[in-house]
Amino acid sequence: MSGRGRHGLLATALGALALLCAAASTMVGYAPLDVAAAAGDLLSGRDTLGALVLLELRVPRALLGLLVGFSLGIAGAAMQGLLRNPLAEPGIVGVSGAAALGAVLVFYFGAAGAFSLALPLGGIAGAAAAAGALLALARGNTGTTALILAGVAVNSLAGALTSLALNLSPSPYAALEIVFWLMGSLADRSLAHVGLVIAPMAAGWLLLLRAAPALDALTLGEDVAASLGFDLRRLRAGLIAGTALAVGSAVSVSGAVGFVGLVVPHLLRPLVGQKPGQLLLVSGLGGAVLTLVADTGLRLLPVRPELKLGVVTAILGAPFLLHLLLRTRNPNP
Amino acid sequence: MARRLLGVVLAGLVLAGLVPTGPALASSRTAAAGPRRIVSLNLCADELLVRLADREQIASVTWLARDPRASTVAAAAADLPVNHGMTEEIAAARPDLVLVGRHTTRTPVALLRRLGITVVELDLPRSLDDVRAQIRAVAAAVGHPARGEAAVAALDRHLAAVAAPAPAPDPGPVPGARALVLRPAGYTVGPGSLVDTILERAGLRNVAAELGIDGYGQVPLETVVMAGAEVLVVDGEAESPSLATEILGHPVIGRLAGRVRLVPVPVRLWACGGPQVADAVRILAAAARQDSAP
Repeated sequence: MSGRGRHGLLATALGALALLCAAASTMVGYAPLDVAAAAGDLLSGRDTLGALVLLELRVPRALLGLLVGFSLGIAGAAMQGLLRNPLAEPGIVGVSGAAALGAVLVFYFGAAGAFSLALPLGGIAGAAAAAGALLALARGNTGTTALILAGVAVNSLAGALTSLALNLSPSPYAALEIVFWLMGSLADRSLAHVGLVIAPMAAGWLLLLRAAPALDALTLGEDVAASLGFDLRRLRAGLIAGTALAVGSAVSVSGAVGFVGLVVPHLLRPLVGQKPGQLLLVSGLGGAVLTLVADTGLRLLPVRPELKLGVVTAILGAPFLLHLLLRTRNPNP
Repeated sequence: MARRLLGVVLAGLVLAGLVPTGPALASSRTAAAGPRRIVSLNLCADELLVRLADREQIASVTWLARDPRASTVAAAAADLPVNHGMTEEIAAARPDLVLVGRHTTRTPVALLRRLGITVVELDLPRSLDDVRAQIRAVAAAVGHPARGEAAVAALDRHLAAVAAPAPAPDPGPVPGARALVLRPAGYTVGPGSLVDTILERAGLRNVAAELGIDGYGQVPLETVVMAGAEVLVVDGEAESPSLATEILGHPVIGRLAGRVRLVPVPVRLWACGGPQVADAVRILAAAARQDSAP
């Protein structure tokens, strides 16, 4: 089978799996709910409590799992392709943390009340600043250590400023909500949140997917890619903008959920023949699957109040990070 | 111009200095028996202190006492000195009595005890009897037991005024409307709390008991929707934006409004034990009657 055909098959399978996970996500919750009956009520316009729970609580949660997971997965694959570094991931290198800072500044100081799109825009601005700073720091030195150190710096600065902003915010609840922004959660979100982020996210995905051929060429080196006619400056700008739009929007409604963009591209890379361009779409779909599985699983665990989503993805993802670190240190174990 | 302004300010200072001297002297004589420099480290203690002690007896209250959303004595506390529960502030005030909450500011409390300063701990009241006992305890500690009795009598008078009309139309133990409290961050309040007592007193049945909530607990919005409450008691006032308060504005709550009555009760009315709990009972009893009317 050709590489393109196999990629298509993989994408179709992952897409179907993601939809299946989203459907399963709507079946799991805290209230005893006959989902089939509720869906029937919803479709026939009967305004029952079950229909209300399904439409206003379970569906937005599943949709956000899908959208946030896709954004984190595709952004992870794009950053790894651009920086040619398997550890580049929005969470590890501080893009998610900076997005949380941007969203926190907008949310707690009232700008989000002025116009609703301010919330994702705050997240996008934070993510763009961090991604830009990271690329500037890593330019000319894409070694793992330099990148990770730059990421640690961006991450800890963003985290410190987020704590500061929450401490200074007028709301008495703000300081307690740092857990949400640092660990992420999809609990009790609404369709309004879905509507808020879906357009900027989709724009980000398109920008990232458009860069696929250039990313493939980049594996041969910057000079070769340039000689093949790819404008590297435009490629970088497009990838930073796409990552910022996707990750910034995601973090502004879910908090910073780590490791999705690390684990998923790592697992799928062998299946797409090490082509970073082909990795984009499947990583997005795989990210959606992982996020939905984690978010459904945490509701099945007998822990109340429920675990934060980022706690679950960290438990799943941290061993991967350690494994990758050991492998990059020891190329031939 | 500047000179005239200065003159006005000076005259004001003189007046401000002169006017209070008379009453201050008089009241300091009446308070001679009680403590003279009282510091409170807890909002609930602030409220009782401001209501029961002479202003001259109060060395400082917490900064929360001035917040009109949280405190029922914000206006009276506006010109009282405030503390932030820091050990240094308290020591500098050289208090002879410190009022604290049982669960807050533990570090300064241990130190104050070591220094031999009298510390009175207020527990979270769980019933109206606890409230009465607490009012009396604080009144006795500040040297005005008669004011405590008067405050308890006023509370009972207000409670009786609320409760009186209820038993007449429907005799016998008719189960009241099903109610659920929804506080920011999805917190609700179950049995074993003052809030539960107040709901019961107002003729409402607390659904949180069915949800297995004991004391305070968090519930997911799904559970709130499906709990089948007829009355949803929410926070009375808009706050600065936070995820915690965003829950109360979730569209699903708005869409519940058709089948569930939203009753706003300012949290300051029932967060602490004091005469204000009668107001909470009054608001909720009105809601309960309205609910059983049609």
